[in-house]
Amino acid sequence: MDIIAKRRIFLSISSVLVVISAIMLVSPSLNLGIDFTSGSTVTYQFEGGNPGTDVVTDALARSGHPEAIVQALGDDQYFIRTDDLGVYGLDAINEEVAKLQKAPAKVLDTSTVGASVAEDTVRNAITAVIVAVIFVMLYIMYAFRSVPNSYKYAFAAIVALAHDVLIVLGAFTVLGIAINAEVNAIFIVGILTVIGYSVNDTIVIFDRIRENVTLAPGREFRATVNLSINESITRSLGTSVTTMTVILAILLFGGASLRDFMIVLLAGVMVGTYSSIFVAAQILVLWERRRFLPWRRETVSTS
Amino acid sequence: MVVSAVFALAISEVNILGFVRGGDSPLGLTLGLDLEGGTHLVYRAMPEDGREPTKDDMEGLRNIIDKRVNEFGVNEASVQLLGGGVDSIPDRVLVQIPGQTGTAITLSFAADTVTPETLEAFFRNELGRPDAAVTRNENGSLMVQLDDIQGESESDEWRDAIIAQYPVALQVGYILPQTDSPAVGDGDAGKLAPDEQVTTLPSLEDVRDAFVSVGRNDVVIDTVDGAEGLFSIIMYGMDVNTTDESGRPVLGEDQRIMAALREIGTMQFASTQGTLMQWTLGGGVQEAKNLIGKTAQLEFRYRECGDILAPSDDMLWPPDGLSENEWLVGRCSNPAYFTESATEIDAADLDDAFPDISGGAIPRPIVTLVFNEDGGKAFFNVTDRVSRQDDRLAIYLDGEELVAPSARAGITGGRAIIEGGSFTTERVRTIAIQLRSGALPVGLDLIQERNVDAVLGKDSLQKSLRAGGYGLVLLVVFMIAYYKVPGVIASVALVGYTVLLLGIFKMIPVTLTLSGAAAVILSLGFAVDANVLIAERTKEELRSGRSLLAAITAGFDRAWPSIRDGNVSTIIVAVVLFWFGDRFSTSVMQGFALTLAVGVLLSMFTAFFASRLLLRLIASTWVGDKPHWFVPVRDQTPPNAPTSGGAS
Repeated sequence: MDIIAKRRIFLSISSVLVVISAIMLVSPSLNLGIDFTSGSTVTYQFEGGNPGTDVVTDALARSGHPEAIVQALGDDQYFIRTDDLGVYGLDAINEEVAKLQKAPAKVLDTSTVGASVAEDTVRNAITAVIVAVIFVMLYIMYAFRSVPNSYKYAFAAIVALAHDVLIVLGAFTVLGIAINAEVNAIFIVGILTVIGYSVNDTIVIFDRIRENVTLAPGREFRATVNLSINESITRSLGTSVTTMTVILAILLFGGASLRDFMIVLLAGVMVGTYSSIFVAAQILVLWERRRFLPWRRETVSTS
Repeated sequence: MVVSAVFALAISEVNILGFVRGGDSPLGLTLGLDLEGGTHLVYRAMPEDGREPTKDDMEGLRNIIDKRVNEFGVNEASVQLLGGGVDSIPDRVLVQIPGQTGTAITLSFAADTVTPETLEAFFRNELGRPDAAVTRNENGSLMVQLDDIQGESESDEWRDAIIAQYPVALQVGYILPQTDSPAVGDGDAGKLAPDEQVTTLPSLEDVRDAFVSVGRNDVVIDTVDGAEGLFSIIMYGMDVNTTDESGRPVLGEDQRIMAALREIGTMQFASTQGTLMQWTLGGGVQEAKNLIGKTAQLEFRYRECGDILAPSDDMLWPPDGLSENEWLVGRCSNPAYFTESATEIDAADLDDAFPDISGGAIPRPIVTLVFNEDGGKAFFNVTDRVSRQDDRLAIYLDGEELVAPSARAGITGGRAIIEGGSFTTERVRTIAIQLRSGALPVGLDLIQERNVDAVLGKDSLQKSLRAGGYGLVLLVVFMIAYYKVPGVIASVALVGYTVLLLGIFKMIPVTLTLSGAAAVILSLGFAVDANVLIAERTKEELRSGRSLLAAITAGFDRAWPSIRDGNVSTIIVAVVLFWFGDRFSTSVMQGFALTLAVGVLLSMFTAFFASRLLLRLIASTWVGDKPHWFVPVRDQTPPNAPTSGGAS
């Protein structure tokens, strides 16, 4: 199967997805949780039946929190997001919520994040990812030092990585609108997991290319890459199917609190597998043909 | 070769068995707050007088908070400094208190009528808690330790059961009002005598009516023979709770009863025995927050009151047209008339501080202070001066004036009591702990808080563990069905991997959190990946016509670089995250990073040693005569001509 020949299709699909994701990130943007915006959250467990989202929202408004966002989690659980409640703010809400039913609603979980913490989290998360990416690039350059231009492998791997993260973020923006999925600290962990998976998956294919380049240095690079992809595609699919099996099982049967997180992982594994084959490897070929400036090659070939 | 393989296999199995023993209860793992439930508080140190906290300040802060939390009776609470890299100073403190619903109950009875033994027997036999262990604390209160408590409602039921179990014996004595001499005992009882016209002692009926007026018609009231106006009352289930359900202070039933009894006559004395005075669920979040966040700066200031007599003859005295009586009060209570100065009494000279009850008809919660020699001397000097000049000693806690008593003479012995209008049993206990542990070197600001109900955590953990189990089973089914013999080996290696991983987590110990669970899934994915890579490579080598054993060896060798490079990249990511994790106010990052690094290292180990050895071992038995069992389902057709230039 000559995957390289069809690269324009794959790269176009990826470009479109990345552009859509980037636009989605600017507007409407992600549904940021209190870890990023500061504020408070409370999760209630109603024990005398389900009052309904509207009733709970009204109760919150009566307690002085018209800004509250109420979200039903299922199992008669409600997730509520408000401005910073401070030390005693929860009491007022508890009072109104307690009036809704005979059986008292139980507070399962509360969380408050101050504004300064929220700023720190964003800044540190971005710094951590950038530093991690730089070190991974350096390692790839070192590990692939036996093949010519090992920096290209490092660069291609990072492009694939950025592609994966962007698309997952974009997908999560859609989820934020559709099911109110919220970006919280756990979501960052999800993105980190996607980064780990994406790099690992890309390296396995690059390893095959490295091996085939070393074994047959005279062969055309494009053919080597195509061969390598074909040789490792069973493994790529095998691994992603098995990993997705575990993720799907937890998504379907695990606790409600893990739902959003598992969706991120699922999307990440799918995109990560796709990008290793159809993005990272293709960039290598484009770059090899043009030597430098792969984007110029793109514009030339599409015009 | 085979012998060495068997040998190594045996070792690896022994290892695995050893870990199985170590980790036979996965719930014995250290669980993070998100899984176990608990409270997570982050405080930021505030610069004091424009001075940034130093490293020593922060270290001292950590130690003091650690001490406070431990005295609070919370097991396994952790106090960490956050922020700051290698060179900079940490500026935040993370306090993690597991199991917010608490594992210990502190309670005390008036007059110690209940022994730890009888209470323990009550918990074990009547309340069905064989795990209860009751001990007596230094201050006389009782501590019940339990494995777990299912939320506050369970503890409320116990409290009610205990109140119903242990009777409260009340004795009140009345005297006829005497106008010429003050009431015996505490001044309160005399002052509150409501009605000068009462000339007879209250009857039994009056006392009964007083109880009925507070909703009590089930008490047994007896007169005492030969002593008029003396009553002994036995009642069950007195509710002395001084806070309502939402934690606001209310009048306890004992207080309401006392008030009602005072209305019917002049009370000479009242004593209660057996009342449940205190019921604290260890780890109440609100109390923990109060305890940790307060600086607890205790200050003794000398208050020089306004002069009693005019400083010079030509002045109009008392000033501002006050009467003599008004002046006597105002000179020491109105800041316009007194001046304050620091004393040599230093809170650092405190040897001990403990909660106590004041004497008198209405016991009030107080804190007793014990000074060391220096402190005792300073305390005497100051109180001596206060007594001679009729001044006051003002006592402040964190800038709040608690009390400003006078003194009749210099106080020796180095003991002092502090009381305050707002003191409750809880508050007194908190203050005592704070004073004992010392004042915080810097002020704190609560910037982040998270409470997770223990039940939610447990539920979500159990569900997710079960789901992970289903996933693992599906995965094994898929691998065996598709990769056959290598699939079986990979599955065995995976199960071993999972057991080893849990064992290591228990031994290091790694705290298992939700994010840690994510890292486990990812590392599980990598472990599967390593096995898949090996199986695919072995298949290729078989195709190119090698013997089974040679194909396995070559397959491993050729899969190794990709396994190594992929995993090393992941470890790099984990190390960077761990390094940065310190700067986040959550332990989410570090938990993820540590778990991921351990998991990935282990997956490299199991794939490379365990899988390889197992595969070679199996291949050398009769199974090895059926090479097609080693080739994935899809490739059952006879091997094609080699497509790979590399498969020579």
